[in-house]
Amino acid sequence: MERKEFLKRGFSALGFAAIVSCSNNSIDPVETAETATGSTGSGGSCTITASETAGPFPTIVPGNYVLNDITSDRTGNKLTVKITIQNKNNSCTALAAALVDIWHCDATGNYSQYGGSGMQSTNYQKVNFLRGRQTTDANGLVTFTSIYPGWYSGRAPHIHVHIYNASGKSLLVTQIAFPEATSALVYAQGVYKSHGQADTTNARDNVFGDGVSTEMATVTGSVTTEFELTHTIVVSA
Amino acid sequence: MHRIIRLCYRKIIDSNSRQPWDVAVFNATHLEFYMQAQRMDPDGMFTTFQEFSTDEQQAEQLQYLTSAGAIGYIRQLNDIMPDIANTYEKLCLPFRNFKFEIIQSHIENKSQHRVAIWFYSEPITWIDTVGSQLLIAYGDHSESFRSGKEIETEMIELVPYLSISHINPVGTES
Repeated sequence: MERKEFLKRGFSALGFAAIVSCSNNSIDPVETAETATGSTGSGGSCTITASETAGPFPTIVPGNYVLNDITSDRTGNKLTVKITIQNKNNSCTALAAALVDIWHCDATGNYSQYGGSGMQSTNYQKVNFLRGRQTTDANGLVTFTSIYPGWYSGRAPHIHVHIYNASGKSLLVTQIAFPEATSALVYAQGVYKSHGQADTTNARDNVFGDGVSTEMATVTGSVTTEFELTHTIVVSA
Repeated sequence: MHRIIRLCYRKIIDSNSRQPWDVAVFNATHLEFYMQAQRMDPDGMFTTFQEFSTDEQQAEQLQYLTSAGAIGYIRQLNDIMPDIANTYEKLCLPFRNFKFEIIQSHIENKSQHRVAIWFYSEPITWIDTVGSQLLIAYGDHSESFRSGKEIETEMIELVPYLSISHINPVGTES
């Protein structure tokens, strides 16, 4: 080892011990990918350098809405939400790579924080409960893990859905309605019970009142196990 | 006389930003702004952030919702402030709180997108000022000053957009 190199390493080790909170002064968001620095040219006798994980370097991350499990700290009956997006302009086949945002209220009818210009904490997990984003797969499907939504005065139980194409252009804003008999069973028990039964039926709801034929979800399961919601949304993409 | 303070660094990110982290935040927050703007304005009446800003509550919501595009990257900083280096040119300033601001944006013209992230440091002990550098120690070292214990210190240059944002009168003792 050359003296210069030795000194460099020696000092960096010393630096680490003395200033343990310091980090490199550049944060490069790179994809975690294997890298090979050896030559693969023909006839080479060299060996490809072993790849290492990118270590402390950050990776490209999706926005923090991108979550499979949007439950956060909320409690309630588990609900798996499976939404399939179809494209009317392509013979109603699956629309892949669409961005799907969903959001709904908790068991007592509250939404997570929606605004505010104040300070935020890097520990944000609890702020954005019951909101999430997924990208549709080749079958046009997104899957979220959540809880059965509660209700708030003047509205029938619902999940909001906003569908965008891959570049973020809005395709459709809609809502998913729930079968009233299932909601009644959920709201009679557990963390939902104290809030009581929903005060607005689908028929009297100002959003679903004009008919829920394209907005009604299929919900299977029971309060003693868990629920699964399946729904297909057709957009023009 | 030492004081317990917080430093705030307002980092501006726009189409001229070239650092990979900055570019990632620029792209992610513009996409999020575009998406959230369409959600708040389904009829597509507005194109710029300024137009949304005529309604203060709406502007606040849009800033908050857009910040989600940056938070994943902010967490990747591992609670160490970007750009602000000590005399050894190492990033050292711990932070846990930040504020996200849209300065200007346009849903389609990305080159107009300009945001700022305000990074607020954790409490630090400001011991002295040497030239244009603050002599500081991380955390509240008031007790060490009372007991005469040696304190590990750091020197940080007061660069543009870095300011003392908070001072704690309780910790102000000589």
